[in-house]
Amino acid sequence: MKIVTLIKTMLGLAPNCEKVNQFLGDYMDGSLPENLRTQFEEHIAMCKCCKPYMEQYQRTIEWTHDCRCNELPEELVEHTISFLRKNADYPQS
Amino acid sequence: MEPTKAQQEANNDKLRDKSVGAIEQSNTASDELDIDAILAGDKPAFEQLVIQESPRLFRVIVRILNDDDEAQSILQETFLQAYQRIHTFRRESKLTTWLYAIGINLARATLRKSRRLSSLEDQDVERLQPSFSRGMFVDSPVEWDPGRMADLSDRKRIVRKAIEKLAPDYKAIVILRDMEEYSTEEVAKMLGISSGAVRVRLHRARQALRELLNPHFKKEAART
Ligand SMILES: [Zn+2]
Repeated sequence: MKIVTLIKTMLGLAPNCEKVNQFLGDYMDGSLPENLRTQFEEHIAMCKCCKPYMEQYQRTIEWTHDCRCNELPEELVEHTISFLRKNADYPQS
Repeated sequence: MEPTKAQQEANNDKLRDKSVGAIEQSNTASDELDIDAILAGDKPAFEQLVIQESPRLFRVIVRILNDDDEAQSILQETFLQAYQRIHTFRRESKLTTWLYAIGINLARATLRKSRRLSSLEDQDVERLQPSFSRGMFVDSPVEWDPGRMADLSDRKRIVRKAIEKLAPDYKAIVILRDMEEYSTEEVAKMLGISSGAVRVRLHRARQALRELLNPHFKKEAART
């Protein structure tokens, strides 16, 4: 860690790892305010712990997205409609 | 209004055309829905909702339950309940959000009833969070091995297993936000919790997942 950032962190002027960890979700969805984002990025760039942690956190999100189920059962819609026609009490008007 | 035979057949044709590209359509076609007709109990209009939303809703339910057959029957039950309770929809949210709330509740109830052994409890999710001492990581994170991450089919299997393990409330949030990419606000409405609670639980769920994946992907100090 750069000495200036290290001193700032020790004095509580810059976020430590725990604080950075709390910001992670907001950072990812872009809702972290500008001033915090700069501090956050300065910390991540130099921290041997937070850098790999954030990369893994980001990968976890991407890989979760990749696990979407893309194969649908055959005639899923047709089966649902015929189930409804059989069971739903469609009102007359 | 009971549809005529011709209307019914036209609807069947539409159904056959739509089911092919249904996944792509499900995200874009919301403006095609005739909400007033649906609320009035119109059958073809309601079936349009079924055609449009089945694929995406199925994807959500099947990931929560991890069982195709069970997910299909929950999907059918969801639309049945939605039809029967349509008069309770108040237009405070999108109709699809209201529909998903029904489906997700049914899926979670099924999951709780079956008490899957593999599933973690809420406390386990807490235990999977990183620990800090005086603001620093207690266990320094180890980098992941690119070689281990490269095997795509193996990776998908591992990630699916990890998601399956999550406690039901966390699992639903991860599926809706990170897998299906609904907004925080929509997920909050679907689950009946605040946006803040969605954010907090999503962060914990992701950290728990990362921790579950860690042993599979981290670089070994000395591998023999
Ligand atoms: Zn750090």
